Amino acid sequence: MDSWSDIVDVCSSVAIHGSHIHVVNDIKFTGDKIPPMRIPSLSDETLSGKTPDVLIIGGGISGCAIARELTKWNLSVMLLEKEADFALGASGSNDGEVHVGFDLSKGSLKQKYVLLGNKIFDQITDELDVPFKRIGQYAAFTQSWLFIPICLLALWRRFYDGVWDTRIVTRKKLLKKNSTFSKKMKFAVYNSSAGVVCPYGLTIAYAENAAENGAELYLNTAVLDMETDKDGNITSVTTNRGKVYPKVVINAAGVFADDVAEMAKDRFYSIYPRRGTNSIQDKKAAKNIDTIASVQYINKAMFKKGHTKGGGLMRTVHDNVLAGPDAVETYKKEDTSTNAESIKTVYDKQKGTVPANSERDIITYFTGVRAPTFEEDFIIEWGRKCPNMIHCSGIQSPGLTAAPAFAFDIEKMVVEKLNPEKNKNFNPRRQGVPSLKNMDLEKRAEMIKKNPDYGIIICRCEEISKGEIIDALNRPLCPPTVDAIKRRVRPGMGRCQGGFCSPLVMQIIAEERGLKLSDVKKASTEAVVLYGETKGGALHG
Amino acid sequence: MVKTDVLVIGGGPAGLAAAISAKKEGADVILVEREARLGGILKQCIHDGFGLVRYGEKLSGPEYAERFIGEFLELKIKAKLLTFVTSIEKNDKGFKAALVSKEGIEEVQTKSLILATGCRERTSKQVFIHGTRPAGIFTAGTAQHFTNLLGQLPTKRCVILGSGDIGLIMARRLTLEGAKVLGVYEVKPTPSGLTRNIHQCLYDFDIPLYLSHTVTRVFGDDRLTAVEVVKVDEKMQVISGTEEIVECDALILSVGLIPENEIAEDLDVEIDPKTKGPKCDTHLMTSVPGIFSCGNALHVSDLVDYVSESGETAGKYAAHFALQFQDADNKNISSYTGVLGDGKLVDIEIGDNILYFVPQSLNLETDLSSVIVYFRSKDVFDNSKLKIKVDGKVVFEKKYAFLRPPEMEKLKLDFASFGITDKSLILAEVEVGVSE
Amino acid sequence: MNKEIVCITCPRGCIMKVTQEKDDLGKISFQVTGNFCKKGETFAINELTSPMRTICSTVKTDFKDVPVLPCRVSADIPKDKIFDVMAEINKVVITEKIKRNDIIIKNVLGLGVDVICTSDMLN
Repeated sequence: MDSWSDIVDVCSSVAIHGSHIHVVNDIKFTGDKIPPMRIPSLSDETLSGKTPDVLIIGGGISGCAIARELTKWNLSVMLLEKEADFALGASGSNDGEVHVGFDLSKGSLKQKYVLLGNKIFDQITDELDVPFKRIGQYAAFTQSWLFIPICLLALWRRFYDGVWDTRIVTRKKLLKKNSTFSKKMKFAVYNSSAGVVCPYGLTIAYAENAAENGAELYLNTAVLDMETDKDGNITSVTTNRGKVYPKVVINAAGVFADDVAEMAKDRFYSIYPRRGTNSIQDKKAAKNIDTIASVQYINKAMFKKGHTKGGGLMRTVHDNVLAGPDAVETYKKEDTSTNAESIKTVYDKQKGTVPANSERDIITYFTGVRAPTFEEDFIIEWGRKCPNMIHCSGIQSPGLTAAPAFAFDIEKMVVEKLNPEKNKNFNPRRQGVPSLKNMDLEKRAEMIKKNPDYGIIICRCEEISKGEIIDALNRPLCPPTVDAIKRRVRPGMGRCQGGFCSPLVMQIIAEERGLKLSDVKKASTEAVVLYGETKGGALHG
Repeated sequence: MVKTDVLVIGGGPAGLAAAISAKKEGADVILVEREARLGGILKQCIHDGFGLVRYGEKLSGPEYAERFIGEFLELKIKAKLLTFVTSIEKNDKGFKAALVSKEGIEEVQTKSLILATGCRERTSKQVFIHGTRPAGIFTAGTAQHFTNLLGQLPTKRCVILGSGDIGLIMARRLTLEGAKVLGVYEVKPTPSGLTRNIHQCLYDFDIPLYLSHTVTRVFGDDRLTAVEVVKVDEKMQVISGTEEIVECDALILSVGLIPENEIAEDLDVEIDPKTKGPKCDTHLMTSVPGIFSCGNALHVSDLVDYVSESGETAGKYAAHFALQFQDADNKNISSYTGVLGDGKLVDIEIGDNILYFVPQSLNLETDLSSVIVYFRSKDVFDNSKLKIKVDGKVVFEKKYAFLRPPEMEKLKLDFASFGITDKSLILAEVEVGVSE
Repeated sequence: MNKEIVCITCPRGCIMKVTQEKDDLGKISFQVTGNFCKKGETFAINELTSPMRTICSTVKTDFKDVPVLPCRVSADIPKDKIFDVMAEINKVVITEKIKRNDIIIKNVLGLGVDVICTSDMLN
């Protein structure tokens, strides 16, 4: 077939949602060349001959959460991530919502783990020292005739499905509490336990805590091939940094989960990638919204199974406004490029939520590629033909909410298989980089007295000090890149988008890590920012 | 708690001029600068052309700045460097600012406040450039920082979007350092920068200028590898079918400057949507008594000479404002009546063909006999006429052979002779197509 | 001969017309129109006979906090010598704390102008 959307339609139509029988897409797509997976340029033998108990493929939220939970045991845990940092796939480019599961029915893994995940989020974010705010969520409706059916659905969700905090809010109360909301709203479903978290912040925190507890995590490391024995067990895993011999392999490879399954000769599902674009607005826009809100229309979200389009508006955990995401199928698993239509789709719809909110306040936008299966549910189980692989696949929204919960179950699966001892030294608590601007003046002064670098502001938009940037560089696993620092302590996340601070951040990285300025990169090891000195440098041989 | 009459925020050309002028009026002045050195953006503007109006000389940015820094140091004005204003609140004695530096947190109580916070550059996302997120997208100012302050080359082969002056200056600068500038693309049908810069920065080096063109997409996973350029129609809409891929390693943006007024907004200062700076009276006092604005934070100027000039005005009147309360330390400033800045305000409305007009209002209690005004036209006009009308009657007019939006016009007007009352309707407009 | 020249002497950017005339004795003279001031006339005639330009750049230093120092030529140089002078500027490394107006290269390429420092930032 030469149309990707036709292939998606065929596969989706035969897929039974929630079924354990999965659609494997072997239809040949002839419309374009499907780009191969990007492989890091790094090539060495660092990992050659290593024999980890558990090898986790993928440094997204799933892989990092699993790695951290496994360090509670005396197991050698190795995690491989092919990108230059953690959470560079869907885990880092989503809206950061901690969901309640109102759109899910009992019976799916998604629903089970989203309820569990939401409940434990306070504990997890407290242990990992990651900001988390329960700011509540409104799903508003403009069609009055929906009031009775939605009330019934809300009751059902609350008492049957277990979404305990579901409430119906009438128009008057809704608009009284949220004066900026569209006057066209007639009523809304409200869930107070919905929250926001920084998605890459949480992933990185998991990775750091795993490293602190003894896991080995490798960036720029891709799985290229596997060998299996006659029983289907994986015996070796080839990477760009040597061959490793794990006892158990966990497939948390996101959009590439089906490719990894194929390497283990255990491909019993297909991933069909779905792009979603989110826009981030200036903090000034936060006056318009202090919660999560969206408008829902019949036939879209509530009664039609599958994914919704158009997303919502939310106040992020860092007090920006986020709009999105949309949902567009693609055959390019790593195509995170943005386009104008995606942003227009989202804003056209969100005018119906908060009319005063405008795309003029956009400071940046990004696209993530989700990794759903045609059945639209998570796959968390042992391999069907490969007995020593756990699939943690099809993880899409609400994967960020669910990961802390299913990581516990995968931990149990591994423990049952390998029977390890407890790790007595496990420390669940991670100490993040202090956020000076959020401290009261007295505490802040005290911190500056201890470390004067906390008093030198480098990023003026986000008010980030030199001390915080150096702290981030000294955390485990922090790559010496502008983007790694940006994702850890936020210089460059503000309205000037790093225009003023990026030269300063690069100087600090160079100084702290003993690098030449031109060796400090943007995101990946190939993302050159500077070509060297102007004088007697790059162009003057 | 440190006390002062005038607190100046920003140590660039506007802040330096403001501090110097406030000090000369006899006020106690503290200047806060977040960088390690005074001079603001002029530190990296190593090209010449500064100070022609003020000194009749073609100085480079550092030379111009250092004249002011010299005077600033001679007057022994207190400067707090590497110091950041984390919050300012209004109180009954004026304003209390919390400053963060290596030394810790310091609170300063001031009677008046001068915001000389400059401007920032619009970014690629603010002009909705799409595609991947590679390294190699720089605003012209960031490229200038790398090249002129750090001695590092940000590109070997680039495309520049926007014909603003910084973009043009950087085209020449990068060419001198050995980089190849493939072209400057401007979405408008006319250049945004000064004509002389088009000639001396582009044409002197055979760099093409593509008007009515823009960049829509960038390519490259790690470092930028190419950009897509397109032609646009007279409504600046993309003409499909004109897409062209230009291979290069960087996209440098000179697509506009935005006055930085976050502190002002936090203090409820009214912002003029046209200038994006505070609405001011002829003393450059904002809608909040005691807060003054100058330089590029007030409105983006094309010449630093005008930035210094507005700094001097703001500094002088911020000092006058503060000195009214010389012996009022223990009294409530806001309870004083009849103070400077407390008079009747009349707005200057803007009519046809004017982009903006500064100041935006006149304070009838002040001396209006010699008021410096700045304005920009909305479009390129030949043979036009600026008219000031009071209640429909033309009270002033001036002919212009050319008016171009990139070039700010400055005038000195005697508003006192125009018979203005607090009921007057004042209108500034440009009449086009005037015969010579 | 007729030529249109944009004056770059000041931000006004006058658009001038220059007419070159040869009299009976073969003596060449120029007529300049459209200029606002005398500087424009000089500039226009120079543009036709021997165009001159200034250069502002930086020189490398040995000081960590100031890796490059701004400089310029003390007077205009022939336009076709720009890249030759840049090559000279690029050879220099400042090892001592010099001041604004200090000479970095004396009589660069024998052109009769110096390359001078334009900032006190090393002090």
